Order: sequence, then C-alpha cells, then structure tokens
Amino acid sequence: MNNRSGLPSTLTAIILFLVLAALSILLVVENGVVQRYRILGAVRNMQAWCWTRTSNIAHYFNYRTENERLSAENRQLHERLSRYEAAARQLDSVSVRIEPDFSYIGANVVKNTVDQQHNHLVLDRGREDGVEPGMGVVAPQGVVGIVGAVSSHYAYVFSILGAGQSVSAKLSRSGAFGPMTWPGIEPDRMLLSEIPVHIQDAPGDTVLTSGYSTIYPPDIPLGLVIETKVSKGSSQELSVQLFEEFRTLHHVYIVKNNHKAEIEALYEQVP
Amino acid sequence: MSRFRNILFFVLVFLLQLIITDYLHLGSWVMVSLLPFLILLIPLQRREHIVLLSAFGLGLLLDLLSGGVLGLNAFAAVMTAGPRKFLYRILVNRDRQDKTEIPLLRDIGWVKYFKYLLSLTAIFLAAYILLDCVSVRPVGFILAKFTASTLVSTALGLLMALSFQNRS
Repeated sequence: MNNRSGLPSTLTAIILFLVLAALSILLVVENGVVQRYRILGAVRNMQAWCWTRTSNIAHYFNYRTENERLSAENRQLHERLSRYEAAARQLDSVSVRIEPDFSYIGANVVKNTVDQQHNHLVLDRGREDGVEPGMGVVAPQGVVGIVGAVSSHYAYVFSILGAGQSVSAKLSRSGAFGPMTWPGIEPDRMLLSEIPVHIQDAPGDTVLTSGYSTIYPPDIPLGLVIETKVSKGSSQELSVQLFEEFRTLHHVYIVKNNHKAEIEALYEQVP
Repeated sequence: MSRFRNILFFVLVFLLQLIITDYLHLGSWVMVSLLPFLILLIPLQRREHIVLLSAFGLGLLLDLLSGGVLGLNAFAAVMTAGPRKFLYRILVNRDRQDKTEIPLLRDIGWVKYFKYLLSLTAIFLAAYILLDCVSVRPVGFILAKFTASTLVSTALGLLMALSFQNRS
C-alpha cells in the first residue's frame, strides 16, 4: 500500500524538482534586477538605509585618504578647466557649442561587491535625482558600470567587474581600440582584446575609454598595459592594471549623455 | 519550546548568511554558504515537495535580499534539497524506518555528520559555481574556487552544527 502511494509522491517530487530547477535557470538568464526592485520595494529601501549607515562608518575611518584623493581630483579638474578656458578665449570668434555632451550627478557608494562573478553597486541617488537605467557610472580614475535599475532614492549598478560586461577602450599612443572585459579573478585587472598584432608599443601605454558608445565620455584613463599576449594568432590580448581601486570606491559620478536621444533616433532611421 | 528554538536558530543562521554575503569579502576564490547547512536542518520527515519548495524559497529570498544574480542560490538550493534524503540514507543511516527529525552531531557522530554536510555543501557549491562561471571562466579557476569554498563552508557549517547541538 505504501509503495502504491509512494510512487505518485516520488513522481511529483521529481517533476517539482525539474520545474524549480528550470525556473531558477530562467531567473538567472533573465537576471531581473528591475523586477527585484519592484518586488522588494520597502524592503530594499530599508536595506539601503542599513548599507548607507555601515558604509558611512567604514568611510569615517578612511577620511584622510579620501580627502587626499578628492584634493588630487580637484587639482586635475582645475588644470583641465584652465586649459579649456584658454582654448575658449582663442576660439571666441568661432561658433562653439555651448551645451556639454555629458552632464554628471555625484553619488556615494552604499554597497559594493568585488568578489563575485557578477558584481554590483548600490548608489545613494535615484529617480528623484534624475538617474535613469542605462546611464554610465564613472569614478575619478576609471569607469565603474552601468545603472541597471532605480528606485526613488537609490540606483543599482552593474559593475564592469562582471561576466558579460565590457567597456570600449583604446590605447592612448596608437588609438587602437577593442572591448575591455573582466577575467573574473583580481578586481584591479582587466583584459583589452582585439588589438592588432602589429601594435608593438602597448606595454606601459595608458588605456582610455574610446567614446564609441553613448554611455561613457571619451578619454577617461582606465589603467596601464602590463602584459601582452597573442590571442588566436590574429590579435593581441592586453592585461590592464586598473587605476581605480574598486575595493575602496566611495565617490562616483553618474553620467548622462545629453545627445543620447538624438543618437538613438538616428539609429532608428537606418533601415 | 524546542521547536521555537529551532526556528529561531534557523532564522539566525539565515541572517548570518545575509551578513556574510553583504560584508565578508574573501576574494574571488572563496564563497561562503550556510544554505546547505540550513537545508540539512529541515526535518527529515518533511515531505519531498515541502523540502524542495522550502529550499527554493530560501535560496530565492537570499538572492532577493543580497542583490546578487536572481536564481543562483535558488538553483543551487533545489539541487541540494533533491538528493538530500538519498544522501542521508547512503551516508548516515540505511534504515528506512529512522525517525530522526533533524540529524545532530552527537547522534550520528562526527565522521558521518561531516560526510553528510560535506556532500550537501559540495553539491550546492558545484551547482552554484558552475551556473555562475561555466563558459566564462577557466576550468582551473572553477575547480580552485569550488575546492576552497567547499572546505570553508563545510568548516563553518560544522561550527554552526556544534552551536545548534548545544542549544537543542
């Protein structure tokens, strides 16, 4: 009798096992960050509140380093501004576009992971601050990721330290460009691939954002080439030591491309 | 009262797992998971579909609260909960009439408990790491991460088991 009633029960368990496994894989493939933000709502806000407090405590002990970093960044920005002012004075008779290509929203990191295969950050700026999914996130010494979802006051960011994420980058000397991806081990190393084999002066060269996307501004320094390797005989794969220290990341800038809508409308016109 | 204590301990271990996921960063080579231990704590007499649904819910809740990839912990938890009873029978007690509610260290002994927890942890981490890394990371990295993570997670699970035994 037991055996008779046990068989359908085992069969149900096997079917349920397969259904739940398939459902989980489907969720992984979808990686529903947006759905998660809708499902959690209030819980996510409470968690973000906790992350903000613990992040504040952690950064309290880092103030000296943080101040030095901000001071250096400030100096660099002043230098760049004075160069632009000088250039603008020389060009005063020429028509100059007033509107900048990109505008920036400052934000603090309240949560950051660097040791998973799909890392992410949570920032303390959200929809009410003008943040939208798809915007880029940069730091003074590199790019950080792309906004995946937003709530009223927080933004979830897909870190560039993640499987499937890539940044279009170029070498400063030759201008050769290719996708830069994270190999998944050290948070300060990335791989720049598809560089032609005839580029021989790559070691020691600085890697910059190429600007061939609507997400990140061009010429943001990303890191230094420390090693080169021929890949599949036709191109080089360069190991890049990143400038940005992801483990201690605190201040970042969310980047808004002011011409994104225009560029996308242009793409839509192409048959 | 004992049941209430068990539930409280279960909740505390889950909260500890959340803290580990959010704040304990041991690098890309090691991930620490107490979910296999939590699956071990689900009473053995529960029906299979209840165990599977509980494990799935537990994994999904961790995925939701930790902000990682949705479904990763849920998948690994289901993979672990599926063969749980079978593993208990072959590694701990072949007697199908065994009425043990929750396996305890003092009842089944260190060696059997270790083998049982190690197997559950290995299945969980194999499922998790393979789904997370396969085809995007080198095999050497996957194997090293699996080995290191299994050892660390099993050791922490044993510590929790000791603590649970002292409370029961």
